[in-house]
This record gives sequence, structure tokens and C-alpha cells, in this order.
Amino acid sequence: MPSYKLYYFHGRGRAEPARLMLAAAGLPYEDIRLEYEQWPEYKPKMPMGQAPVLEVDGTMICQSVAIARFVAKESGRAGKTNIEQAWADMMADGFVDMLNKMADYVWYEEDEARKAEKKKTFFDTTLPEFLGYFEKLLVANNGGGGFFVGDGLTHAEAFFLCLSDDIIAEKPNVLSPYPKLAALVERIKTYPGIKEWLAKRPQTPF
Amino acid sequence: MPSYKLTYFKHWGRAGVLRLLFAAGGIEFEDVRIERDQWPELKPKTPMGQIPILEVDGTIICQTKAIGRFIAKEAGLAGKTPLEAAQADMIVDGLSDLQVKIVDFFIEKDAKKKQEKIKEFAEKTFPVFLDTYEKLASSSGHFVGDALTWADVDFFSLMFFLKDHLPNDPLKGYVNLSKVRDNVTSNPGIAAWMEKETSH
Repeated sequence: MPSYKLYYFHGRGRAEPARLMLAAAGLPYEDIRLEYEQWPEYKPKMPMGQAPVLEVDGTMICQSVAIARFVAKESGRAGKTNIEQAWADMMADGFVDMLNKMADYVWYEEDEARKAEKKKTFFDTTLPEFLGYFEKLLVANNGGGGFFVGDGLTHAEAFFLCLSDDIIAEKPNVLSPYPKLAALVERIKTYPGIKEWLAKRPQTPF
Repeated sequence: MPSYKLTYFKHWGRAGVLRLLFAAGGIEFEDVRIERDQWPELKPKTPMGQIPILEVDGTIICQTKAIGRFIAKEAGLAGKTPLEAAQADMIVDGLSDLQVKIVDFFIEKDAKKKQEKIKEFAEKTFPVFLDTYEKLASSSGHFVGDALTWADVDFFSLMFFLKDHLPNDPLKGYVNLSKVRDNVTSNPGIAAWMEKETSH
């Protein structure tokens, strides 16, 4: 069994999709949460000077989606054929696009007026457009009563849960127009391994 | 043999790398290039209202990196082990991060702000990126293991896209990165494709 060390900060953020897939797989790992003061010491050791990083028997992988996909594959939860894998990847990328739009106004916009404007555009226009696509794509997989890809959970679900956590925190009824997506959130939360992780994971602001 | 139909606009943009990957793998594909005014009619038929899209025996996949990874696997260019595949993925993701910065100055309409953004990119963002990627590339000119992967092809593709927007040869002085570029351009499928693409 390889040794896994996941480096990130005290938060869900960009590391949480990997943590969810590690939980679904029941794979033990070192969940390293760095203090901000420790970061200048660790940054030069990371391949692109960023976190999260997953260290697998000494090899360091960076980039949150690459990490989550690798971990998903370790337990056969990344899609069973090349096409299924591409579908899982495309869904995950769509969710990451939305997470990036949120990060843009939460973390990278300092002007308060522009911040509010971007947030409004996101919730009023961008997000509804894409939730519409996501609902349709879920339904396209056998009516949408299961998962995004094939008949099992993949890293697509991990990214979707992280996105829904964030958008529901802002707007609790945001998924009501999308019943299949809303029902899927509950299925992910009760998935073996993930259910236990959600109950015990540190409660953090991000 | 599956049928592949790639749809995008005419320019290099986001599909350039995908066409290169088909070429590198010697895989036949229908290279559909639409005009701007055809887009509104196509948009609702796409999974997420965006292109490029790849249709594989009737299934439509979107998201450039998802498509790229799929073609890379079909072409045997996605790494030999799961860890190698992850290494290729991380290189591609880092290139994608850089592309976000490029698109940002590209679409900037205010001329003064555009110049400022290009200056910041050329003097700070891009050199930092190149320094990082030089260390990630091997002296034999590969980002992953010792063979060509789609990470190498994606790097070349982005450098090719950038060449019209930056003054000099950006890889001058970067020994490993220049070798990556050489390895990519000497791949027979890619060499033939580039000859065709750049000869008009």
C-alpha cells in the first residue's frame, strides 16, 4: 500500500475533493494542515509553489484536479472506460469552472463594489445557466437517479459536493429548480466512507 | 475504429492542442471548423454551451482538458502508470492556469489596461512560469518519464499560441524546455500537421 501525504491549509478549499475520494476509497493518508506561517518553508518544496500537494511514496503531485483524479483511480472510481473517464473529467471541470468563478470574487477581488457585482452576476446569471446544463447531463445518465457517470461515484461527485456546499451556504434553496442535482447531494453525503468523513472532518471557514 | 468529430472555431485557440494530439497519434478525425455566425445555432446542442466539443460515436464530450486527456489515452500519450498520468495532468493544469492569465490580457478592451497586463505577464508571470517548468522538464526534454506525453504537446501548443503575442523566442536560455519543444516538433505526425497548419 502506498503512503499518501496530503498537504494543504486549515480548510476544505482545493484539497477537499481529494479528501472526499480518499474517504470513499477508505484509503489512509496523512492529512497535513499547514499554518500560514509554515508556508514559506514548504512552498519551495512544492512542484509549482502551491498547495494542495499529494505526496505518494515520495513523488509529489500538485494541482487539485490531478490529485483528486489520481486518488479516484486508486479505488477504481474514475470511470470504467476512456469515454466514462472523459465524462467524469468533463463534469469535474464544469464544477471547477464554477468554483473558480466564486474564488475570483471571494479571494481575488479586493474592491468591495466589484466583489458584490461579480457575486451578483454569478448567482443571477452564470450559476443558473450551468446548473441547468449539469441537471440535464445528470438526467442523461439513465434518468439521473444515480450518479453522473456509469453506475458509481466518481471524482465528479466529489467536486459537485464541494460546489454545492459553497453555493448552498450562500443561497440555501439554490438547487430547488434542479431536483435531480438536489437528490444527488443527499446520495453523496450518505455514501459509505464519505458519510463518516463529513461527520468527523474539521469545521473550517473555507 | 470509433469515429471522432472535433468542433471548434477556425483558429488555434483551445482546439489547437487537440488537433495536434490526433496528429501525434496518427488518428483520423473530422476537423469541423465553424464560423462565428454558426455558433448561436450550435451552442444549445453542446453539453455546457461551449466549444471545443468532441463527438465520439454519438457521445458528445466538452471541456478542453477532458477531451485532450481522452485523445491522449487513445494515442498512448497519457503516461505509462497512474502516477505518470497524474504528472501529465498536473503539467497540463499548470498550463491551463497560465492560459487564464493570457486570456485575461487578450480580451482586455481598454488599451492602456491591456498594455499594463501584457507588461506584467511578460516581465513577471511568464518568467516565473518558465523557471518553474524548466525545473519540471527533464534534460531529455520530457515532463513525464522519458517519453512523449500530451503534457509535452500541450506545452508546445501554448508556446506556439503565444509566439505572435511576445517579441522574442520565449524559450531562449531554457535548455530543457527547448528540448521539449524539439521533441514535440520532431514527432512525425505533429511535424506533418504543423507544416499544413502554417503553410497559408
